[in-house]
Amino acid sequence: MHFTLHIWRQENAHAKGHFEKYEIDNISPDCSFLEMLDQLNEQLVGDKIAHPVCFDNDCREGICGMCGLYINGRPHGNDDGVTTCQLHMRKFTDGDEIWIEPWRAKAFPVVRDLVVDRSAFDKIIQAGGYISVTTGGVPDANTIPIPKYVADQAMDAAECIGCGACVAACKNASAMLFVGAKVSHLGLLPQGQVEHLDRVRNMIVKMDELGFGGCTNTYACEAECPKQIKRQNIARLNREWIGQMFGRDRKN
Amino acid sequence: MVAVLGGFLLIFLLFHMSANLLILLNDGGAAYSAFCNFMGKTIAIRVMEVVLFGALLLHAVVALWLAATNRMSRPVGYHKPQKSKTHTTSKLMMWSGILIFVCLIMHFYDFYMVKIGLVKGEYMVKTEKLQDEEMSGIMQLANQMQMTPSDLVAAMKEEMATMGGDDEEADNYIESITAKIKVMDIVNNAYTNGNISADKKWIHRLNAEEKAVIKEAFPDSDVEPDFYYMARKKFKVWHIVLGYLVFFAVLFVHLTHAFPSAFQTLGLNNYKYNRAIEICGKIYTWVVCLGFAVIPIVIFLSE
Ligand code: SF4
Ligand code: FES
Repeated sequence: MHFTLHIWRQENAHAKGHFEKYEIDNISPDCSFLEMLDQLNEQLVGDKIAHPVCFDNDCREGICGMCGLYINGRPHGNDDGVTTCQLHMRKFTDGDEIWIEPWRAKAFPVVRDLVVDRSAFDKIIQAGGYISVTTGGVPDANTIPIPKYVADQAMDAAECIGCGACVAACKNASAMLFVGAKVSHLGLLPQGQVEHLDRVRNMIVKMDELGFGGCTNTYACEAECPKQIKRQNIARLNREWIGQMFGRDRKN
Repeated sequence: MVAVLGGFLLIFLLFHMSANLLILLNDGGAAYSAFCNFMGKTIAIRVMEVVLFGALLLHAVVALWLAATNRMSRPVGYHKPQKSKTHTTSKLMMWSGILIFVCLIMHFYDFYMVKIGLVKGEYMVKTEKLQDEEMSGIMQLANQMQMTPSDLVAAMKEEMATMGGDDEEADNYIESITAKIKVMDIVNNAYTNGNISADKKWIHRLNAEEKAVIKEAFPDSDVEPDFYYMARKKFKVWHIVLGYLVFFAVLFVHLTHAFPSAFQTLGLNNYKYNRAIEICGKIYTWVVCLGFAVIPIVIFLSE
């Protein structure tokens, strides 16, 4: 297959970026989007045309959340429930023009080319996305005193890989889906319930502080999340944000 | 904040719409006028009016502020327009909101400003407030002699002139009733032109001068704006009807997102009830917008 690529090139965080146009040929429909970029990079380096295009990746099987490109107007490209590394070139038609951009958000500054700094997510996690005490090894599922549907919901929320597609998709660059997923997956289970309200508060305060936008219920995040995290997690987050205003029996 | 205030406005809209449907009753305005009178009189309602304005303004201000800060969360935009499958109406909230605000200004000019006396409209008054002994005495006399009240007074004046005497008492008396006589003429006119409600409680379609006359003769008569006939008159004009229909269409777009969105923001939903909330939202939106839209359409199409 043959493609015309328009790729965002940016020397470093402070440089002014621009789109560069590249032609690429001999792409197998079975290769992934990142493999296609590998092929491009080999071509760029081998022919001494330019520095290779920088992009984040690690597991290349949709579980680490490192990869993430804004492809033709959609985070993770034109497929539902996949990460960029899982996106296959057969999803495109031969001869397509493909525009590749980095995530755009105030909280996700561009580092270089298509790489953005997502440590804002880590800071949100550090603000409350943990359980303070060691709760021991993994208990047998049937020894945790919760109904199955709660376990299912916690598990679904725990699927979030922190890729940031929700922020990239949101017109407000809001991180509510991410925070909602984290709060749900920890707070629904007994081990995490104790600190639940504090966690909700601290993570939301941190999120606002870092410059993520507010949620206006557009649900672009839900549409683009590779792990199909549900908007109900945002509703839970909202509910519990209101709850923590009244429910925290603490002075600080 | 936006959701709580919006929820309050949603309840108001439903109320406003149901009340307006009274205009469609073909009772010469009896029911609707009684309703307007009640609304104008009750203290609690006047307080609510202020609260409502406050809520509306705050809703708009907070929403705009939110939109502004949200924009700042993405200083560098994308080159390619977003293609995610999303709820379009939610992205239009700000624009539909602004349009609604503009439409509301038109709406206030048409109706609310008349109430607070900034714009002239048509007025109505309760018949019972216009009755006293003098009035009914003269009315009876006029009826017996088959004259209009003003003719009667003119005749009386003439008679007195021919009698020649300068009967000051009589002069004064006539002077004192002229204002009331004018009112009687107005009432008579209303009867002949059919500007009286079916239950004979209201005299409708008074203009600003007539309002002034009545106010002079009966200072505590409470002449009120005649929304029933003002609506009927306005909705005969096609561009006003069109204006309002556009207004309701924009409102529809706004409400489509507003209803379920308020639940989401307040966290008052879950997997189980999401469908139900969405369906209720659809029903609410259709009922309110159609309910509003039906009024100008029916009035426009009726002869
Ligand atoms: S919620 Fe979905 S889109 Fe957002 S970070 Fe987690 S996995 Fe990525
Ligand atoms: S590289 Fe790990 S999710 Fe794509």
